[in-house]
Amino acid sequence: MEIYISQAIHGITYGMLLFLVASGFTLVFGLMNILNVAHFAFYMLGAYFAYTISHYVGNFWVCLVVSPIMVGVLGLLTERFLIRKVHKEGHEPELLLTFGLFFISVEAVSIIWGPASIPLQGPEIFEGVVPFLGRKTFPLYRLFILGFSFFVALGMAVMLFCTRIGILIRATVADADMVNALGTNTQALFTGVFAIGSALAGIGGIIVAPFLSAHPAMGMDMLLDCFVVVIVGGFGSLRGAFLSSLMIGTLHSFGVLLIPRLAMVFQFLLMAVVLSIRPTGLFGEKE
Amino acid sequence: MKTAALKIEKVSKSFSGLQILDRIDIDICKGERHAIIGPNGAGKSTLFNIITGLHRPSSGRLFFFGNDITRKSIHKIARLGICRSFQIINVFPEMSVLENVRNAIVSKFDRRFNWLSFLNSDEKINKEANRILDLCELGDVKNSPASQLSYGLQRKLELALVIAPDPILILLDEPTAGLNVEETRDAIKLIRQVTEGKTLVIIEHDMEVVFSLADRITVLNFGKILVTGTPDQIRMSKEVKDAYLGRE
Amino acid sequence: MNFRSCFKLKYFIIAGLTLIVLIFPLILSPFRLNLAIEMLIFSLFATSFNLLYRYSGLLPFGHGAFFGIGGYVTALLFNHLAHIPLLLTLSIAAIAGLVAGVFIGLFCIRLKGAYFAFISLAFQMFLYTLAFSWRTLTGGDDGMGVTRPDLDLPFLSKISMMDEGNIYWFILVIVILGIVACYFFLETPIANSIVCVRENEIRASFLGYDPFLTKLVNFSLASFLAALSGSLFVFFEKFIGTSSMNLDMSLTVVLMTVIGGSGHFLGPALGASLYILVQDWISNLTDRSWLIMGILFVFVVLYLRGGVISLFQSEKMGKIRLLIRGRGN
Repeated sequence: MEIYISQAIHGITYGMLLFLVASGFTLVFGLMNILNVAHFAFYMLGAYFAYTISHYVGNFWVCLVVSPIMVGVLGLLTERFLIRKVHKEGHEPELLLTFGLFFISVEAVSIIWGPASIPLQGPEIFEGVVPFLGRKTFPLYRLFILGFSFFVALGMAVMLFCTRIGILIRATVADADMVNALGTNTQALFTGVFAIGSALAGIGGIIVAPFLSAHPAMGMDMLLDCFVVVIVGGFGSLRGAFLSSLMIGTLHSFGVLLIPRLAMVFQFLLMAVVLSIRPTGLFGEKE
Repeated sequence: MKTAALKIEKVSKSFSGLQILDRIDIDICKGERHAIIGPNGAGKSTLFNIITGLHRPSSGRLFFFGNDITRKSIHKIARLGICRSFQIINVFPEMSVLENVRNAIVSKFDRRFNWLSFLNSDEKINKEANRILDLCELGDVKNSPASQLSYGLQRKLELALVIAPDPILILLDEPTAGLNVEETRDAIKLIRQVTEGKTLVIIEHDMEVVFSLADRITVLNFGKILVTGTPDQIRMSKEVKDAYLGRE
Repeated sequence: MNFRSCFKLKYFIIAGLTLIVLIFPLILSPFRLNLAIEMLIFSLFATSFNLLYRYSGLLPFGHGAFFGIGGYVTALLFNHLAHIPLLLTLSIAAIAGLVAGVFIGLFCIRLKGAYFAFISLAFQMFLYTLAFSWRTLTGGDDGMGVTRPDLDLPFLSKISMMDEGNIYWFILVIVILGIVACYFFLETPIANSIVCVRENEIRASFLGYDPFLTKLVNFSLASFLAALSGSLFVFFEKFIGTSSMNLDMSLTVVLMTVIGGSGHFLGPALGASLYILVQDWISNLTDRSWLIMGILFVFVVLYLRGGVISLFQSEKMGKIRLLIRGRGN
């Protein structure tokens, strides 16, 4: 019994983490119609930058602040100088470009930091375990992941629904030209959201590193999972991403528990089912 | 009339709560030339979209010579012999004029999946394509990419794509939109010529075109039929005058 | 007069190249010959990819799945049903690819653009996981070695496939046949339908074309050829592993086609050949071949959209060639 509860919590934790990363990806798509595969490179770089920073400043919290900023800047530059060049030519060149950038990042990381996993230490106060349902224990750090991701998600919701900027963003998703015509600099908005999305991905990478370790293939692993999230939830829908992240996270946990080697099959089946019934995802727009 | 060529039965359509068409009832006879007119936004193009299968009606049914085509897919309806043109030019931009028309001919001869012959050397298909091009006065530009044609010629290509499959029912959506007076007169002549013996439904704003081509006219306003009748009846109709000119 | 001599020159060059290609086994070292064989196999694979990419306008990120299917089916046949004639084995493997293509296509083709790209990737990853986990059938991560059968031609003698020259010529013939078949295929009405649907799907529907079916036919054909190339690969390497079915394989073919240039029929073949040559050359210099490939790829996407082959296409040629195969991006 305990194992089901603990797996469930684990599943929700992983789901929240998925949401943290997938939300940036789907928001950028909903807003700018950009399929940014490089998002997952930013995820990976977040962890790696943090690792390097941690050599100079041992404090985890400092890394958690500085690294995303670096990733955000990188995202900004990418959008400004690379993606904008190919955006008007349609999805395909953009997809190819961002994939190429992802690819290059993975190779560069392998070369600079080596192909093996790198250890990133979590904050000391979250080391150790917490007593849980009698004699069992539960790692404190995972609760931190759960809490932190939830907190970030909440912050995003507040920003999108309660602030002026949030309203502008949602309006631009609905009708960018109109918002532009009404005087808002939508281009700046786009760049800003892109940068923030990238930073969020970076945060995801940092958070996950002490837990699942950071390695050059982490971007691809997250890509595949997030991709299922976004397909099921619908490209562009944050609500969809939230629900499907939790679904996928739980499915993943229980899949690993029940049939370890074919855990991927469940995700895949879910995706196939959703695609057959509702190709644009649970909350996606009808094409 | 016997079995109508096209029977539109109480067709309604709403998009996200906005009612575009409201219980449209029209019977079109074989060989008839029927015009649909009405102010912008009256739902005319939507009606065409529904007839040809691009949209499904929210309610109501459509019959083509007694055949229920309400829920049929676009390509199946097209193969039954219903062909339409578009208000905004909708051709194959990077293909040459000849290739454009040839696409229609390949489909007409049911050779869409033919893998045993070479298209460029197929006499039958190419001959027929050239015939259509000459009919529509496009012979001179047959090797130019469609996107490089002048607007007037692109309109002719639109027309060519409609008649090439030799359809039974032709739907023309504002075929003279954007043409000047001379080009319009040419277009009327061409349309009359190529639609000889076929059933024609035409959406138009240009009254000269309407009155010179149509046997009967339906006036749509806000998605409802105002009146259906002969050109003379429409000319006399008070409702039409009110709708177009507004109540004094 | 000028035109005439151009004409002759072109044929002379082609004849010359053909001759050189034919005598490769006699003039190249075994190592270089192996490279040539790889170039052939991947040219076929990339050409099959381009059928989808350029002619249907679909970008699959999981095309490697069919390469892998062709490979595994071939390996299983070689190992368990060794007495089957070689040509039959290859045919069965290619047909397996075709069947898989129909099945997977039924799911993927409903979607467009990025959705299509990723769902095809998902199917491929699924098959990869299957290959990885089903150790008893596929050897899992370790893969399977195969014995290469000889070629038994009905009225001629047995041709030994131990000899490298024979292997090369055999693969050369099959690849050339495949590519030439593709070339002539593009002249048929069915290829016209495929392009027509890509150019303007709505208008094509209104002319009576069934877009779904048309794309499915193209998808199946592409998977047939991909499986054939995977089959030849196993025949050549005498080994199949999960690397033939993994993400790298799918991405590599994308890289090859984009770098070579999808706008010309032979662009993918050029890209595949360049890729293999450059990879070989770079890996002698440095460990970083993937990185350099990635940078080259991004460079091509940003600045040379038509690929390397566009450097050889002059503008005038592009305007004159209004036939299906001459269409630019």
